Amino acid sequence: MSIFTGNSNKAATQLITSFTVGKDLFGIEVMKVQEVTGTQLVVPVPLAPKFVNGLINLRGQLATALGLSELFGYKTEDLSNQMSVVCRMEGNLVSLMVDSIGDVVEANGISFEPPPETIPAAIRIYIKGIYKMNGTLLSVLDLDKLAKELSPSVEAG
Amino acid sequence: MAFTEEELVEFKTDALELLDVAEKSLLALDLGAEFKNHFDAIFRCFHNLKGASGMMELNKLQTHTHNLENKLMELKNDIKISSDHINYFLRGIDLARLLLDGQGVLVEEAAVINSSFSEFINECDEIIDRVSEALQIIESQNYEKEHLNSLYRDIHSLKGAAYLMTFNLIGDLAHTMESSLEGLRELTFLPSKDLLNCLYKCIRLIESEILLLKNNTKNESNEEKFRQLIAELSVAVSGLRPALAPILEPVAEKEKTQVMKKNEDTASVKEQESVNKKSAPPAVEEQMSQIKTGEGDANGSIRVPVSLLDNLMTLMGEMVLVRNQVLQFSSKSEDLEFLNLSKRLNMVTSEIQGEMMKTRMQPIGNVLTKFNRVVRELSIDLKKEINLTLSGADTELDKSLLEAVKDPLTHIVRNSCDHGIESPEIRTQAGKDRMGKITIRSFHEGGQVVIEIKDDGKGLERETLIRKGIEKGLITHSQAAGMSEKEVFNLIFSPGFSTAASVTNVSGRGVGMDVVRTNIEKIGGSVELNSVSGKGTDIKLKIPLTLAIVPALIIRCGGETFAIPQVKLEELVRVEPGASENKIEYLHGAPVYRLRGNILPLVNLNKILGLPEKKDLNSVSNIAILNADQCSFGLIVDAVQDTADIVVKPINRLLKSLQVYSGATILGDGSIALILDVMGISKLAQIGNEAISDELSLNRNKEQKDSEQQDFLIVRLHSPSKHAIVLGYVHRLEEFKASLVEHTGSQRVIRYGKSILHLISVSEQLGYITRSQSVTKDNTISVVVIERSGVLYGFEVEDIVDTFSTDADVDTTLVNQVGIFGNINTDDELIVTIDPFEIINKAFPENILKSGNMPADGEIKSTKKLRPAAATSKFAAKELTASSFNILLAEDTVFFRRAVTKILTKAGYEVSVAVDGKEALGILERNPSKFSLLISDIEMPGLNGFELAEAVRKNPQLEDLPMLALSSRVDDRYTEQGIRSGFNIYMEKLKADELLEAIEQLTLAKRRVG
Repeated sequence: MSIFTGNSNKAATQLITSFTVGKDLFGIEVMKVQEVTGTQLVVPVPLAPKFVNGLINLRGQLATALGLSELFGYKTEDLSNQMSVVCRMEGNLVSLMVDSIGDVVEANGISFEPPPETIPAAIRIYIKGIYKMNGTLLSVLDLDKLAKELSPSVEAG
Repeated sequence: MAFTEEELVEFKTDALELLDVAEKSLLALDLGAEFKNHFDAIFRCFHNLKGASGMMELNKLQTHTHNLENKLMELKNDIKISSDHINYFLRGIDLARLLLDGQGVLVEEAAVINSSFSEFINECDEIIDRVSEALQIIESQNYEKEHLNSLYRDIHSLKGAAYLMTFNLIGDLAHTMESSLEGLRELTFLPSKDLLNCLYKCIRLIESEILLLKNNTKNESNEEKFRQLIAELSVAVSGLRPALAPILEPVAEKEKTQVMKKNEDTASVKEQESVNKKSAPPAVEEQMSQIKTGEGDANGSIRVPVSLLDNLMTLMGEMVLVRNQVLQFSSKSEDLEFLNLSKRLNMVTSEIQGEMMKTRMQPIGNVLTKFNRVVRELSIDLKKEINLTLSGADTELDKSLLEAVKDPLTHIVRNSCDHGIESPEIRTQAGKDRMGKITIRSFHEGGQVVIEIKDDGKGLERETLIRKGIEKGLITHSQAAGMSEKEVFNLIFSPGFSTAASVTNVSGRGVGMDVVRTNIEKIGGSVELNSVSGKGTDIKLKIPLTLAIVPALIIRCGGETFAIPQVKLEELVRVEPGASENKIEYLHGAPVYRLRGNILPLVNLNKILGLPEKKDLNSVSNIAILNADQCSFGLIVDAVQDTADIVVKPINRLLKSLQVYSGATILGDGSIALILDVMGISKLAQIGNEAISDELSLNRNKEQKDSEQQDFLIVRLHSPSKHAIVLGYVHRLEEFKASLVEHTGSQRVIRYGKSILHLISVSEQLGYITRSQSVTKDNTISVVVIERSGVLYGFEVEDIVDTFSTDADVDTTLVNQVGIFGNINTDDELIVTIDPFEIINKAFPENILKSGNMPADGEIKSTKKLRPAAATSKFAAKELTASSFNILLAEDTVFFRRAVTKILTKAGYEVSVAVDGKEALGILERNPSKFSLLISDIEMPGLNGFELAEAVRKNPQLEDLPMLALSSRVDDRYTEQGIRSGFNIYMEKLKADELLEAIEQLTLAKRRVG
């Protein structure tokens, strides 16, 4: 299974939704993104970790808003214009709050590389790999890792 | 011909219903209901099932039901059905259900056997071979789980097969064997010679019986032998533990037929009567019976998969939301037509919602009636007379909830039968009715369904519970004394707790009530237990009606909206500013409110959630009085908005783990409100003893599971930081009136029972206050009682806060003050750990010498001379005898490692440490002659204490090495295991004096040998 996807990664191109957080370009496989929405009303959840911005009412469904800049430790001054990239993780809707949305890009499997060791660990653990694009690098997020962050194995109460 | 999945499912549901109806009728007959109708109903059920299964080409089931039908036919002309026959048919129904499920090897086997007798015989032969083999292995004292389990399994299948073939004698015997093996399988006891002999005999007897069956000759005398053996086996088992002898199922086939013949004689007379009855128009009769047998399944009902209903339910929830939004929007609109329409939408939606809820509702009777049978069978098994009364069977409950309460209910009922209701003899002696009574009542109360299970049995005894609690290490003696009735009863819900003196096959294994509680709490319900010793027990389950849509109170706090489920809400209180009577008062900084004379703890939601607090103190305060696990508290909120039916939406686990929210919802205006978890909030705010004791028990459980956890008692001194004392040191917690303090010289003491408690002000010893300041201002003083060398010391603290459990190690570096052991770094604060013995030494320097020279009793006295004079004193000079004495200490917890090392080095021993069993073994193997004693912890990663001891004993160079086990788990079982694995002494941790004495004993013994 893993060998198979590994091969297909190398051979095929992949469509990636790109977005920026801080000054860096990130991406998620298109098929994993449910939708991209504009600014939403985020209802804060007191006591929650800082990277949980709050809850969003997505047409009658609840989505947890995950602030990527907080999670990665960026300093974003202006949060009012953030966009949200909605994905489904382990049955829950999660809205990743990003600074801006880029294009859907076609990434070639040949240009894929694991993240270099020098990236700060706080970011690296969420990154599956890097695509070398023309003039820029795109980090692909590992949604499974993010999902794990949202469902701690030790559930109290 | 193949059938589709759907057809099969359809058939299965049908068949199960038929079986249910048949079972109900059988039970009704057993209770003496009118014969004809029920008999016909049963007959029809079997017949229909036979037909249907034939059509579905389920041959096994068809033959089975055909047999049942035939058997029933024979009884057709009777007017009464004997209870043996009822048992037979009930068993038949069970088997039919198993066949329907098509699961379980046994069933497969059984089914095959059913079709061919010879296969049964072969199977039996095989089983007998295997069993004899297994018995031999066991006799050679090889108690491997694998063998025991396979033995148990074999006998179990033998039982099943025998009963199926209606060879009841073999079945009974196998059953007895099975139950006699029950304990053996768990290794709770080892088999005695008698038991093994008996088992052998049983197997031989079964073998001979099967031989007879094979040759188709039936030997009467064998029957007697069976009975005898069953009795013998019970005696052998009861030698190991008092067990309930299984009931001798009556019925050799012959007896049965005899009875039947007799019945036939009388039947002819009665038949006439039934003919007379029949003179009513047959059509009416037909209808009547249809109504009777139809019971709940009204005509014109259709079957809908539950998943479809679930989907509809979710959609319904959405629709309610949209309705709410429309209503809110329409209130702003001026358009009359729109207003009208929205009103109609409102009404229709509400109606649909109501009806929709009903689709999932099922009468609780569906579950309750099953208990008729459970109780009936148990009463036979247990030789008790029990009458079950049901009421409120038509109370309706959401289907999923109904499913969820089934198991807990069964458990409670079984418990009541087994150790609630006494045997008839005891009952008559106690002046009660011979017949025990269990009542199950269900009714609506405050938006919840209450199921009450009441028995008039022996009830729970406080003393027994406390004793058991202490035995199981759930509570300490000192805790027990201060426990309220309710807390004592709550013990029964702790894992591993069982009051049954003996484990029977019905209950008493102690896995029950905690599971009951967790299951009920999982669905948002609660369990209440009340009991009067000698009078009976009363358990109340409170269960919410449904889970999907809940009425809630919407409140606002710190600019956010929250919802509180109405179920948890008791009342709302509005506190006007400036009122002199009704106001929020502050007790030691904690807000409280006097509600009709009772002090109610208050929690400020803003504070709990870390939201900005309302600045304006003069405004009105709103208090929502909430109920968390039977203890109320007031929640101060900024504003109370509205009540609304909300649809609970799950939130992800990260947010749930905050413990404050149970979910979230979308309100009518599309905004989001978090649903507050009242229990969680009360826990966070540490309201009431319930919450704390819950936490306590949680901590204790943790400790049992994981000895890395260390429990501390948190106390407040005259210092801003918290202080902690290792809980193991603490003997008791007391509160005294300041007036009780007396003086002997300059020493403050309190008379404490027969002894005297020497008070030590901890704050003073640690230099936080000077002596003159230490006068207590309050009327009471809080005292932690610590025992050392038989002398009680009272540690005066400002306040006893809580207990606390952590796996963080105590940081002992850079501690230079006498009396302080080290610091614990928790997530949010630093806790200073106190070394109580050092403080005692500091406060009573003269006492050390005294206690060191104190004459001890008996043998130890003579060893005293060898022991360093002032063993526990750091001022004592090291003596040669001790320093030439090397001790290896294996202990994984830093805390204990340091504590024990300290005790030992103070006593003048040389100590080497190993952080786990593996390391210790390595050190010992490298220097086999260096150490004179090994002290080891039991719970260690990798190689545990037991394994370490065994490994040491196996090494010829080390086999004489004295070994001492130090463990926080001390009970007979562990001690025994410890001694078995080679420890010379097994003792509890943190008993410094006992430890030194034990070492003394061991070394003396060693020297004598040497």
